[in-house]
Amino acid sequence: MAKVLFINPVVREEDVPRHVPYGIALLAAIAIEKGHLVQVFDQNAWRTGEEVLRQVLAADRWDMVGLGGITTTYGSVKRIVRVAREVCPESAIVLGGGILTSLPYEMMTWLPEVDVGVVGEAFVTFPEMLSMIDEGRRDWHTVLGTISRGEGGRLIMAGQRPLLHDLDSLPFPAWDLFPLEEVYFPNSEVLYSEEGMLASRRLDINASYGCSLICRFCYHLGIAGDMRYETDAEGRTQVHFDEPGTYTRHIRYHSPEYVVRLARHAHDRYGVNFIGFLDENLMTMDQSSGRTWLKEICRLWHEYGLAPKYEYDDKGEVKGWTGVHWSGTSHATLCTKEILKVMREAGCSHLVYGYESFAPHVMKRIGKGATPKTNIRSFFWTLEAGIRPVPNQIIGFPNEDFDSIRQNVKAWEELGIVVKPHFATPYPGSEWYAVYRDSILEQYGGDLEAFVFELGDASKISATISHNFNAVELVGLRDMMLNFDYRHIDEYEKIWRRNHRIPDGQPSTLYRDADDTAPAAAAE
Amino acid sequence: MSSYLKGNFKTEKEVRPPETKKEADDLESRFERAALKRLGGSIAFVAKKKVKWTLDDKG
Repeated sequence: MAKVLFINPVVREEDVPRHVPYGIALLAAIAIEKGHLVQVFDQNAWRTGEEVLRQVLAADRWDMVGLGGITTTYGSVKRIVRVAREVCPESAIVLGGGILTSLPYEMMTWLPEVDVGVVGEAFVTFPEMLSMIDEGRRDWHTVLGTISRGEGGRLIMAGQRPLLHDLDSLPFPAWDLFPLEEVYFPNSEVLYSEEGMLASRRLDINASYGCSLICRFCYHLGIAGDMRYETDAEGRTQVHFDEPGTYTRHIRYHSPEYVVRLARHAHDRYGVNFIGFLDENLMTMDQSSGRTWLKEICRLWHEYGLAPKYEYDDKGEVKGWTGVHWSGTSHATLCTKEILKVMREAGCSHLVYGYESFAPHVMKRIGKGATPKTNIRSFFWTLEAGIRPVPNQIIGFPNEDFDSIRQNVKAWEELGIVVKPHFATPYPGSEWYAVYRDSILEQYGGDLEAFVFELGDASKISATISHNFNAVELVGLRDMMLNFDYRHIDEYEKIWRRNHRIPDGQPSTLYRDADDTAPAAAAE
Repeated sequence: MSSYLKGNFKTEKEVRPPETKKEADDLESRFERAALKRLGGSIAFVAKKKVKWTLDDKG
């Protein structure tokens, strides 16, 4: 049986570790189920230095050292694989997740210590690789969904791995291999709602994979049917994601029974009182199921005894509760009044909405299938249901202009929204990345790795894609927006118009695109 | 101290926590962390570990 060391790289260093890495927890469970020997070192949780990492790597003779994460873990992954190669010269070093999938050739070039990359979903690919180790083989290129090194270091992209259809065949995540009591439970708080703030033992569940919508800024990295293998002019297989005019989707979701059994397991075994659903968009799954999926999850939440029961004080104020609250993601156009009410009754405390913008012309270009009108409608429906909407906003869209900035500030004032928007960021794997790659390279002096190093959670600026504003302008405008400072925004517009020779009365934009008819959703 | 490694078998060697005191627990670090959270206006501070003492013009 193969001996595997999973390492969870550091992400969002500026915050405490809050989330057990769901993918690694699932892969560890799959490996154990297949009879392999597994250890997990959660470096993101422990935040220890190189000394501990070296001890971990030297603790045994590992057949495989496996890492994975999102693109923003790049700096940490680079440090880990360098040490891993030095301490474990004989081990196969494997990298998977979004970081590898989004840029397979680049990552294998920038990280020469990595032997094999897992492209896309690893649920089947990974155990096949472990079986190969058991057989004493290392011909990785025969395993679908991998990129590996051939003779002379030539990179070999194996065929595309089909997505797993029966998600319920997955075991429950191996949560007990992570420092729950030491790190994660003390960091359970989620500042999105009162119930989230008071969560003392939280775990996360991913109930579905993908999203049917085609937001230009979003990326799914092969788990949503969005990944295409195509042969380029030199005969090399290239991995493509959303590009203008080319969108594919295949969304999948667990059965309500699997989801609620897993929640009950988390409650019974770990005493969990809050579940955060990691899903990209719960509502797209509900719509795809014919509006049965969320309703059934909520019904079972009651049936399994998970729905919160409240205790009240003499004044009728809530003083405590039992049961499990939960949260997730919604969509302005796809949510319904009815389902929001049902969700609240089952313990839903808050829902994250990517409202993005309250400017009609900006929303029209995003491909989200939402408008300022549906944003506002869902906002009130959610509040009326007793759920806190979490109104995410972005500035710096390609066609962001002074009008959109003022429309957003006005909406925040009227709706009582307190927000510090993300900056529009072209993450690898998104359509924006495909469209603006040359501009990104230009902004980083041709050094794509420098861009990837700098990528964070978009609360700080990296590459900009706005046709109207540069990084300095966006940072300044965001600050004025936070302070509802219309006067300085108006003043700066005058300077901006002068600099760009755009007279008053004409739209304050340099953005030109005749195609305003982009579809909002991809066909399955 | 809990084990840094968690798994379904016992490894050949144990992983021991570093001997040195965790920097994040000392008073200086606690103060700088707290001040950083309220940074702005009159709240400003010197991050002592980042001071370049070798600067020629320090007097």
